Amino acid sequence: MNLLLSALLRNHLLFDALGIIGLGLLGLAAIKLARTYKSWGGTMMALGTIALLVARLYFILHPIFFTNDLEAAMGPLGISLTIALPPLLLSFGLAGIVWGLWGHERWIQEESP
Amino acid sequence: MSCVILPPLASIEAVKPVFMIVMGVFLMIIAWRLAKGLEGWSARLIVAGTILLGVGYTVVLPLYDAGVIPRYSLRPSALSSGPDAYAWNIVKTFVMNFGWLLFGLGLAIHARIFSTTSPGRKLSPPTPVTHESPAQRTS
Repeated sequence: MNLLLSALLRNHLLFDALGIIGLGLLGLAAIKLARTYKSWGGTMMALGTIALLVARLYFILHPIFFTNDLEAAMGPLGISLTIALPPLLLSFGLAGIVWGLWGHERWIQEESP
Repeated sequence: MSCVILPPLASIEAVKPVFMIVMGVFLMIIAWRLAKGLEGWSARLIVAGTILLGVGYTVVLPLYDAGVIPRYSLRPSALSSGPDAYAWNIVKTFVMNFGWLLFGLGLAIHARIFSTTSPGRKLSPPTPVTHESPAQRTS
């Protein structure tokens, strides 16, 4: 395998960047939908996108910043928070995006019968 | 894994894949219903992105949680991560990230964030002001 391709695939850099660009576009579109159409679905989608982006930021930064010293300094409560928060953020983000998309779809159906 | 006892049905570990499957199916259904009323590339991109995301959320991630697919680890000490785990890891990252990219791009085109004209102007056209005299109205 090509060395560059192998490095890109192994470090997930390319795919992670594409996913984050997609989530950013999704957040921008959701905010624009919420502003122009005054639909609450856009707001829910934007909140879900922010939660997913925060969780992704945590997953990217975790192997770089979270050393043993930092974990010792955070204490048991901090460590349990770092274990519990990312799945909560991922679940809330997915649920928010699906709920917001449903709200926007219902809004479109009501507007154009 | 030494622990072979199945988790209880109501625990978070058991509910998480069910939640992801339900959300993935809902995402595909809602996107399909949304795309029925749309035209052009936005509908195609939204449907393609949500199908990728739906495959990821309903098939790949629950299989990871069930332990069917071996987890890929970057650490060199993990000798268990062979070519299977590597290939599945590529499939997972491709599906999840390209799904979000296509879905976000489709919704961005649908929301017209790339167009310079304001869509609010098209939605609410100003009502034409008619200048007619009372005499014309009564006649």
